[in-house]
Amino acid sequence: MQNWIEAFYVIDFISVGILLTAVSMNAVSRLETCVKVYTLNSLLLSLLIAIVATIIGEAHLYAASIITMLGKGILIPLFLWKIVKQMKVTHEVEPYISNTLSLSISGILVAVVYASLKEGIFVTGFAKNVFQISLAVILIGLFIMISRRKAITQIIGLLFMENGLFLAGFSLTFGMPMVIELGVLFDMLMGVIILGFFAVQIRKAFRSSDLDKLTVLKG
Amino acid sequence: MIAILLIPLITSLFCWLLRKDRYIGYVSLAGSLVLAGFAASLIISSVSSSVEAINGTLYMDALSGYIMAMVVFLGLASALYSIGYLEQELHAGLTDVTAIRRYYALLHLFIFTMLLVTVSNNLALMWIAIEATTIVSAVLIGLGFRKRELAIEAAWKYIILCTVGIIFALMGTFITYYASTAVVGTDGVLNWTSLRNIADKLNPATMKLAFVFILVGYGTKAGLAPVHNWLPDAHSQAPSPISALLSGILLNTAFYGIVRFMSIVSPSTGAAFTGNLLIAFGVISILISSIFILVQDNYKRLLAYSSIEHMGIISLGAGLGGFAGLYGALLHVMNHALSKPLMFFASGKIQGAYGSTRIENVRGVLTSMPLLGTITFIGALSLAGAPPFNIFISEFTVIKAGVDRGLWPVVAIFLVCMVIVFYGILAGFGKMLFNSHQQSAVGANGRSPLQESRVPRILAYATMIIMAALIIVLGVRIPDAIENVINACIQIIGVNNYQMSP
Repeated sequence: MQNWIEAFYVIDFISVGILLTAVSMNAVSRLETCVKVYTLNSLLLSLLIAIVATIIGEAHLYAASIITMLGKGILIPLFLWKIVKQMKVTHEVEPYISNTLSLSISGILVAVVYASLKEGIFVTGFAKNVFQISLAVILIGLFIMISRRKAITQIIGLLFMENGLFLAGFSLTFGMPMVIELGVLFDMLMGVIILGFFAVQIRKAFRSSDLDKLTVLKG
Repeated sequence: MIAILLIPLITSLFCWLLRKDRYIGYVSLAGSLVLAGFAASLIISSVSSSVEAINGTLYMDALSGYIMAMVVFLGLASALYSIGYLEQELHAGLTDVTAIRRYYALLHLFIFTMLLVTVSNNLALMWIAIEATTIVSAVLIGLGFRKRELAIEAAWKYIILCTVGIIFALMGTFITYYASTAVVGTDGVLNWTSLRNIADKLNPATMKLAFVFILVGYGTKAGLAPVHNWLPDAHSQAPSPISALLSGILLNTAFYGIVRFMSIVSPSTGAAFTGNLLIAFGVISILISSIFILVQDNYKRLLAYSSIEHMGIISLGAGLGGFAGLYGALLHVMNHALSKPLMFFASGKIQGAYGSTRIENVRGVLTSMPLLGTITFIGALSLAGAPPFNIFISEFTVIKAGVDRGLWPVVAIFLVCMVIVFYGILAGFGKMLFNSHQQSAVGANGRSPLQESRVPRILAYATMIIMAALIIVLGVRIPDAIENVINACIQIIGVNNYQMSP
């Protein structure tokens, strides 16, 4: 099994998959698809953890993988799905900039990350690409947050950042202690629920789920 | 220590389950009193020697005790004030019983999360607790009794900005964990106490990166300037007792996280690195906030910008370091935690009476409500940094630290901004306090002020009078007990010696 994983560069393939799903967020035009892409991203993350667990044979990594799958791969997407369904009016993402430009900017972000971390101050044993990919995913998540106007897309951008962060933490230290991972996941879950709740409230109060309307408070 | 954490949780549950709206306030008050009773002995014992629980996951020393004392005190003050405040909102038809139950339950949950921040030894647990404060307080802001849309807007901005910020802080925590694996082997350590023991062996380059992430992350939560945008909205839209907690203590718990990290990062990178970053953030905060204070026409937002300014001063003091800098910063933490909540409490009463948060709509508070006017006046003078009050002492100490290090540009900017803030705050509140009473206390919405029954009214005013008295007393003399606690805190953080200044 281990030879097999190393022979086919499985880790590299999966981490590139994580990057590609993040990049493809820029080209997605429907909210439902956004949720699907996020689900795929989370499942790939969970798979990556499971595969590293088989390589180094750590029991607690299997648990981390299962928790990631349950929390980010199933619970959060289901919740988001429900919110998207409640948003009846329009299911289009409506970005501020065109998909082409958005994709190009993501590409530049990835290039910047690779260029600036070329020396690899963080090279760890199993895959030096993973840390760079994780930073790229964090930046793309941030970019999605600022370039889309729907409340839901902001939540999804945040979740992508968080996935990237988990990947980064994982590539640096092979994961945190179990209790901490659970705590962080719980916080994230509560955060998403509260954000979803507010997204529905925004929809009700402003009769629109666009964040453009949130401009009263300033100065 | 476990008891301390359980009491707010149990109180929260009781408040949620109770059906009689008249008694919820008193149940929450009782819970806060019990909490204060339990916490007092723990805090006193933590000053002389540190306390641990659950295999060292929870840990308390003088610094935790100092912040915890403020959490407990302000929790109690808010519980006292909330009774009357909510009764008034209920009379005005701005809220209902369900919202009140939710409010009290969340209030105690909020206190619980802040207590957890102060006692967590594990840095990741601290992160979890700080993120939990964001989530709980966002819901409290979103309750928005007065203007629902604005409250939702403020809560949305708050939770999005703070969560993004705090994700960077988690990154910093991961990097710290990574740095520790290089020292202690594959299973790194995350406990602050263990990290402090190996602090000088950690890789400086890695720790620099970690500290930058931490500073940006927790700095967002602490309201430091380039990343402060959520703060004025959240503070101005939250119910007044919650604004008081947000400003008085939530910002400090986030800053407490930065200070904890500073004491483990400084030994490896050198104190100059962490210090200079904190000074930069502090100066930018003071500059930006002083300008906004000058042009503000909404008194709750004015108070919010004043919070940014004071967090800037605390950051500046901590960054300047040395005994005077840390002393000034820690003293300022307490002074700000007294003056700002007092002002939010008072502004809640003013808002209740005049039905507006715009400065121009409020006139002649001193003549129409002499007691409230006097309290507001004391608070405003204190916030502006006028001499016989507490904040003057700590600001002066911070300036002394700057002069000691010979950082004249910083001192100059600081002094100029203090003058601007002094004018801005006194001009704003002066207009509200004095002036003729063309508009009487009966506000624009036509309802008579202060429709609360007697007991809540007395409780709220007693709280404010005690806080105002403390402000004056602390301006004249700092009791030995507090002096000892601050000295113990400085020992824990570690005095950075800048004697060999460049």
